[in-house]
Amino acid sequence: MKILRFTNIALITGALFTSACFNDLNVTPGDPNTFLADDFYDSPEAYRQGLAGVYANLSLTGTEGAGSSNIQGLDAGTSQYGRGLWNLQELTADEVIWTWENDPGVRELNRNTWNADNVLLRGMFGRAMTSVAFANEYLRQTADAILDERGVSGTLREEIVTYRAEARFLRALSYYHMMDLFGKAPFVTEANPVGAYQANQYNRAELFEFIETELLEILPDMEAPLANEYARADQATAWMLLAKIYLNAEVYIGQARYDDCIAMCENILDAGFELTPNYLHNFMADNDVSAARNEIIFPIVSDGITTQNYGPTTLMVNGQVGSKETNGNDFGVAAGGWGGALRVTRQFSEIFLNGTYDNDVRNTLITDDRTIEVTDISNNGTGYVIGKWSNLRSDLSAGNDQTFVDTDFPMFRLADVHLMYAEAHLRGGGGTLDRATTLFNDLRTRAGNANTIAPADLTLNLVLQERLVELHWEAHRRQDLIRFGRYTGSAYNWSWKGNVVSGIGIPTFRAVFPLPTASLAANPNLTQNTGY
Amino acid sequence: MRQLFNKAKALLLLVAFCGMSGTLLAQRTVTGTVTSATDGTTLPSVTIRLKGSGEGTTTGLDGNYRIQVPGPDAVLVFSFIGFIDQEIAVGSRAVIDVIMEENVKALEEVVVIGYGTTTQKDATGSLTSITKEDFNQGNIVTPENLLNGRVAGLTVNTGGEPGAGSVIRIRGGASLGASNDPLIVINGLPIDNNTIGGSRSVLSSINPNEIESFTVLKDASATAIYGSRASNGVIIITTKEAGRDFQLNLNTQIGVNTLASKLDVFTADEFRQVVNEQRPDLADRLGDANTDWQDAIYQTGLTNNVNLSAQGLLAGVPTRVSFGRSGQEGLRLTSKFERYTGTLNLSPTFFEGHLKINLNANGTVENNRFANGVEGAAMTFDPTQPIYSSEQPFGGFYQYYNDNGDGTLDRNDLLANAPFNPVAELLQRENSSSVHRYYGNMKFDYNFHMLPELTAVLNLGLDHQQAWGHSIVSRENPTSQPDGSFKGSASNYTNQQSNALLDGYMVYARSIGNLNTETTAGYSYQRFQSGNYNSGELRNDLESSEPITNIDTDLVLIGLFARTNISFEDKYLLTLSYRRDGTSRFSPENRWGNFPAAAFAWKISENFFPESQTISQLKLRLGWGITGQQDIGRGNADLFLPRYGEGISTSQYQFGNQVITVGVPQFRNENLKWEETSTYNVAVDYGFLSDRVTGSVEVFHKESRDLLANAAISDGSNFSNSGFQNIGNFISQGIEFTINSDILTNSEGFNWNVNFNTTLLRTEIKSLALDEDQLVGGIGGGTGGTIQIHRPGYAPFSFYVYKQLYDETGAPVEGAYADLNGDNIINNADRYIFEKGAPDLTLGFMNNMSYRGFDLSFNLRASFGNYIYNNVNSSRAQYNLLENNTVLGNLPTSVTASGFTTTEDVILSDYYMENGSFIRMDNATLGYTFDKLFSDKLNVRLFAGGQNLFVLSEYTGLDPEVFNNGIDNTIYPRPRTVYGGLNVRF
Repeated sequence: MKILRFTNIALITGALFTSACFNDLNVTPGDPNTFLADDFYDSPEAYRQGLAGVYANLSLTGTEGAGSSNIQGLDAGTSQYGRGLWNLQELTADEVIWTWENDPGVRELNRNTWNADNVLLRGMFGRAMTSVAFANEYLRQTADAILDERGVSGTLREEIVTYRAEARFLRALSYYHMMDLFGKAPFVTEANPVGAYQANQYNRAELFEFIETELLEILPDMEAPLANEYARADQATAWMLLAKIYLNAEVYIGQARYDDCIAMCENILDAGFELTPNYLHNFMADNDVSAARNEIIFPIVSDGITTQNYGPTTLMVNGQVGSKETNGNDFGVAAGGWGGALRVTRQFSEIFLNGTYDNDVRNTLITDDRTIEVTDISNNGTGYVIGKWSNLRSDLSAGNDQTFVDTDFPMFRLADVHLMYAEAHLRGGGGTLDRATTLFNDLRTRAGNANTIAPADLTLNLVLQERLVELHWEAHRRQDLIRFGRYTGSAYNWSWKGNVVSGIGIPTFRAVFPLPTASLAANPNLTQNTGY
Repeated sequence: MRQLFNKAKALLLLVAFCGMSGTLLAQRTVTGTVTSATDGTTLPSVTIRLKGSGEGTTTGLDGNYRIQVPGPDAVLVFSFIGFIDQEIAVGSRAVIDVIMEENVKALEEVVVIGYGTTTQKDATGSLTSITKEDFNQGNIVTPENLLNGRVAGLTVNTGGEPGAGSVIRIRGGASLGASNDPLIVINGLPIDNNTIGGSRSVLSSINPNEIESFTVLKDASATAIYGSRASNGVIIITTKEAGRDFQLNLNTQIGVNTLASKLDVFTADEFRQVVNEQRPDLADRLGDANTDWQDAIYQTGLTNNVNLSAQGLLAGVPTRVSFGRSGQEGLRLTSKFERYTGTLNLSPTFFEGHLKINLNANGTVENNRFANGVEGAAMTFDPTQPIYSSEQPFGGFYQYYNDNGDGTLDRNDLLANAPFNPVAELLQRENSSSVHRYYGNMKFDYNFHMLPELTAVLNLGLDHQQAWGHSIVSRENPTSQPDGSFKGSASNYTNQQSNALLDGYMVYARSIGNLNTETTAGYSYQRFQSGNYNSGELRNDLESSEPITNIDTDLVLIGLFARTNISFEDKYLLTLSYRRDGTSRFSPENRWGNFPAAAFAWKISENFFPESQTISQLKLRLGWGITGQQDIGRGNADLFLPRYGEGISTSQYQFGNQVITVGVPQFRNENLKWEETSTYNVAVDYGFLSDRVTGSVEVFHKESRDLLANAAISDGSNFSNSGFQNIGNFISQGIEFTINSDILTNSEGFNWNVNFNTTLLRTEIKSLALDEDQLVGGIGGGTGGTIQIHRPGYAPFSFYVYKQLYDETGAPVEGAYADLNGDNIINNADRYIFEKGAPDLTLGFMNNMSYRGFDLSFNLRASFGNYIYNNVNSSRAQYNLLENNTVLGNLPTSVTASGFTTTEDVILSDYYMENGSFIRMDNATLGYTFDKLFSDKLNVRLFAGGQNLFVLSEYTGLDPEVFNNGIDNTIYPRPRTVYGGLNVRF
């Protein structure tokens, strides 16, 4: 038997020899899910799949499940785009604290003591720039010359025009995040080679100009508002991003662009979006198909079956489950959730408890048996918890999976535009006070809060407070506090700011994050931000 | 291999005397039979040369020969490997029968090297050969443990699982990000260093009883003939070969595995006291039971080995067959390893010995049952809770159960985030596999009829493995499906892995006067293929549990190699070798690498003390060479290609209500190339008192360039922020010392031999790309934490910790770290480098004694300067962990010393660094041999011994011999084994 087998082996090996020449060193991918680029783009459907790949970088960390990652330097799940954005905008501000400080990097974000070695900073820097790389690759693969070569024509060729505009939007979005968080970025486009190209550094002004120009340029190629498939960017999404950079232009480039912001907000407000009647439906498992679909301008998709990730919605639904309450079942996840990972600061709770929001669906504070102050970060019985996010559908049936939620993360939604309009108006951007007030009141009314205000009551401080109430945990807070001058310095101190329970001032340089040490090392054209 | 050596040596001698040959006289014929003095059997393939001429022949299968001689002055030289050469003057005889004496010493001297053989005396490179007579004894399941502690510069760290694999390092390895595993070559077939899923390790399916010898090649001058895979050294395994005389061997052994030590956690009563003192608010969670969870998860296991082999002539062909069975029960409940091996070796010769064929065929079945690592759970599970509960619906096991009264039993009927009963985790889970492996080679060794100086060798090899496995969790276990329901769990997998080899080479040996040369040149082709299938969860039909098939891109390695050995006056030896290797792993521009080596040896004793008994041997060796490395993992076989990966079923994106299979470009690096290691080696081999004391001293310096490492890449330029690149330099240098002494040789029946070796090793990262640190060494506790760093100027995997502050009483102050950079902020920048996990000094000691029929052997190993990060304590020994979500958690008792409460505040403290130096007795065996029992041919040896007898160490954890470069986050405990057995030879 064995002899027989080895005779076969000898024959097989002998046959191998005859064919064995140096050409055997030219191998091709063996895996059924891996293709050479040209083979991949052989099918017409690939152009859509490739575009989905660029979008997916906002949600997926890799192609092989929620535990896989195509970027490195930190835990795979933690490297998710939305989560990085959320960590940097939320943990570093006054809305939330992450209990498990032995997760690398978290402690320093919680306490505003980060430095350039922080792995969460490296994760976000790398993830955002990987989005740029994916978009650039898509633009290379859909360049006219290549499409001609591949004989792509007809309807597909026309669709690709829109696809390309969306890829450029996604690239601009990532540069916007880089501009906001790090104040600079290596500037790479489809004209640069794939490999280890050491790009030049763009500062905020250069990035601002690029983002603005790019968005204005692609607008004509984009679908009309709400005309595109859900989760794909349309003209309103581009307007929203423009509105964001204009609103923050004083921070970014030292110029007031509030009038441009108002113009963009008006575009969106008139585009057909509608506030969903139930505020909480925006944060539930079916927010892609319920009425929330008309409020959400741009989501990061999650699905308990097809799009599993450890992104912000999975994090928030599981994380908001209280350690004492073990109320995960109320949110469609396991009763214990992540053991009480998230709690809110005293200052956050005080806003909700100031009397204005006693009857307001946005107030989801759970306070029983808890102290208002997070006296000890590791003690997850201190500090209040909330229940804004859910993996239940609007009919209260549970999502598909008890860990990976179906809930999409609303990166941009209409309510934000309401408050942006009000703020830009108050900052001198034009528009009307009446419209600003109405937009403001719309949100309270929608939330069942009878405390509507008169035009005279609308102040910038109130807008900032209302932004916390309406948009908390939606990855806006750090940016908001900076725009209002309350982030660095001592104008406003919240719990654990500066590594003190009661909060102390932090230096101005912390208004931007340091460039990660690894990124600086790999690209000597980058320079570190002042102070780090 | 041995025949090859023989042939080469014969040719050397033959050609050496051709210059002195006189004119041919009248021819006449001499015939005869050659037999062995040992057992009287005839010897085929014995070389017979006519001294002083190029003429020669060999004996046939019947041991007969026939040769033409010029006249009565002719002298015939009879030589055969393993036997003493004989010179016989022909005189007037026409029939000359020769009885040849075995030369035990010479047999030992033959050392198998890459594509050939040499002798220890003629070796120029740094190599150590260990043959079966010198193997470690004891309850040895995997082959590498036969030489653990026996070779300077070689470390073997084996796990505690039954049939566990080992981390094998030669001179500490040469890579940072690529593999540090040495190349393992079995009978000329380099095997894949990746363990097939379902198997315990790459060597676990190989029966140690089948091994004849190991050669460990350490320096580049010895390894460079293996070119691109030689940087981490080479271990050549030669299996037993068929002999001509009939022999039957039976070896059997039985033993008992017991738990040597446990981790110190609070007992139930101590725990009650601790909870009442520290957290009286949680006292109502205490139960009434008294459970030692560590005792509960372990068992006393049986181990047994049986090996039966037979050899002899079968239809005139030397044949050897063997059968082995090894059964091991692990310490963890349910853990099991079982191996059946069968081997066949045929070594026929044809054309009067000109063509030798050697066929090795091996078949192995390895059956495993894996037991999950529940040590952590057993340590922390509340000792006041019972193991069993008949009232609960979990198959008799106790769980944290809290019926929510909704009528369905699912996840919501458990206390939130409570751990599962670790005993149930073992007994209600069946994770089994069966691995079938066929490997072997067929070697053709042809000595040209017309040109006896020339030999051609063709070696064909194949290693094919297939594994089937499944994992089933009982429906009574509270493992939940994604929707929270209890259905247990079920999945299965199959894995395949194979590699095929073709080596062809020619050997040309020639002597001119005092100059002997041997030149080898050849071609090598090897292809690796692997793939796997996993069914995904079978107890739900969600899209997220669809089957997944992975097929690795083939890996092809092609090499052209040449070597020449030149010896002058048998005093000066020079070896030059060269290999040009191609790999399919790199782009066409970068895939070829050149690996040269040179070595020179000078037998000083031949010059200065040719007759001395006191200094019987003194040899200086100098070696230099460049070797390569390309093994960055099986999954990285095509990083240079522009690839797109499609998402698996759970990694898709949605546009509207449409699920789109995403296509994502993958990291690529077209510039990847070989990592290269230059090695310099200086050594002195010595022998004193007629070689009663032998050994060597070696000094080496290795420098690896263009290290293949996964490092940060300029953001935005690629489809990742990090990937494999050629970055940095790495230096390792060391001193090795070996001494082997026959203290007493047959003095009144008493023999005493000791062998000692020690290695001093120092490694340092010389540079990394742009001096960028790399954080490595993942730890338990939190998500993604690291405790080690690669930084230029330091050893790889240096520990990177905060400096703990202590109060005036010497007690650590919780959460207080030194502000090393003085910026008044304690953050990453205040971490510092504290030692490393690799030892500075390793020692091995082997003692063999025999007195008449008795034999006693024991060995010791020691390691100094290796530090351990006690992750067991750092992530578990804090009072806050008494509250584990909704339940109680037990703690290591070390918490009473630190008094720490908050894990997050202390986990990265140097407080948890410990010195892991140790001295360990691996084995002691006592045996008694009944020689010539009942008949002349029957030998019986009875033996008994113990494995893992003691460890001396200051380390407070379970076992100082840890993995993960010195991070101890619980290990599978190594059993203490007591065994006895029987060897029968007939």
